[in-house]
Amino acid sequence: MDAKSIIDSLVNKFQDSLTDAKVDSDIRISAYLEPEMIKDVCQYLKDELAFDHLSSETAIDYPKRNEIVVVYHIASYNHPVLLTIKVKLPRDAPEIESIVPVYWNANWYERETYELFGVKFNNHPDLRQLVLPEELLGDWPLRKDYEGFPNRTARNLV
Amino acid sequence: MDELNDNVTVEDQEEYVEEIPGVITTTSMAINDFLKKTKAQDVINWGRKNSLWFMTQPMGCCGVEMIATGCAHYDTDRFGIIPRNSPRHADVMIISGYVTRKYLPALQKLWGQMAAPKWVICMGDCSISGGPFYESYSTVQNIDKMFPIDVFIPGCPPRPEALLQGFLELQKKIMAKKDHGTDY
Repeated sequence: MDAKSIIDSLVNKFQDSLTDAKVDSDIRISAYLEPEMIKDVCQYLKDELAFDHLSSETAIDYPKRNEIVVVYHIASYNHPVLLTIKVKLPRDAPEIESIVPVYWNANWYERETYELFGVKFNNHPDLRQLVLPEELLGDWPLRKDYEGFPNRTARNLV
Repeated sequence: MDELNDNVTVEDQEEYVEEIPGVITTTSMAINDFLKKTKAQDVINWGRKNSLWFMTQPMGCCGVEMIATGCAHYDTDRFGIIPRNSPRHADVMIISGYVTRKYLPALQKLWGQMAAPKWVICMGDCSISGGPFYESYSTVQNIDKMFPIDVFIPGCPPRPEALLQGFLELQKKIMAKKDHGTDY
């Protein structure tokens, strides 16, 4: 299964919700997706196209475009193609369906994305902070307009 | 006698010590305060400085150097420095890494569990000023305002010899009665 046939199969199946689907190289393909379709696409990738490994899930903050983009990297143990799915969410209320029922290892990725960016994952089994202390929840430290960084409370010791 | 009891209020009775002819009654705190002014404190400090047991509580890469210092090669036992696993056995806490906002309550709990007299050594650039995590949102700054730190050991990480020298400086401070572990 090569990159061209995978992207063709995806576009045929989800032609209404997939945009900007392109083949970057022999082993890299990428596409933008509508938020409500993410769980169906992941289920289809896992069942039909042998994408059985979620490599990473994170987010990028774009304050000027007023959107937060959630990025999924999905790979396979059977073929060398790595798929990048990007989902645009509104910045003031980012909400997306959780993909934990499809890829179980998305659990901690989504908890980390939640504590750092404030993206709310619906139907997540246990959506709370992963590493940050509880009092930092709600600050969303990795957003670009976060005011706690750089932290200049240190005294000058010299 | 009745007249005396009438004048004494309830609050005064707790501090009121009955005088027995020929016997001086006192408290252990009063004895401590008296001893601090005498030469006996020098003997006590000599004993304390030669049993500086530190808590094995590694917090980062400096913690590896701390454990290496406690191993057989450097033989810290000749200075009376022994690694201990429990805060209740330890006299010295070594802050050996950056302190995050999540870890600070646990560190303060450990510090509270240690029995007095106790001392703190700040080991490595991270604990002194934040190191590479300076200005981070999750790092606690100005750790010297939260703990009475006696010795700062710069380095990234300091070698075991540097940590040993830090202990020797702490011993000198204790003998000179300049340490923060005791109220003089």
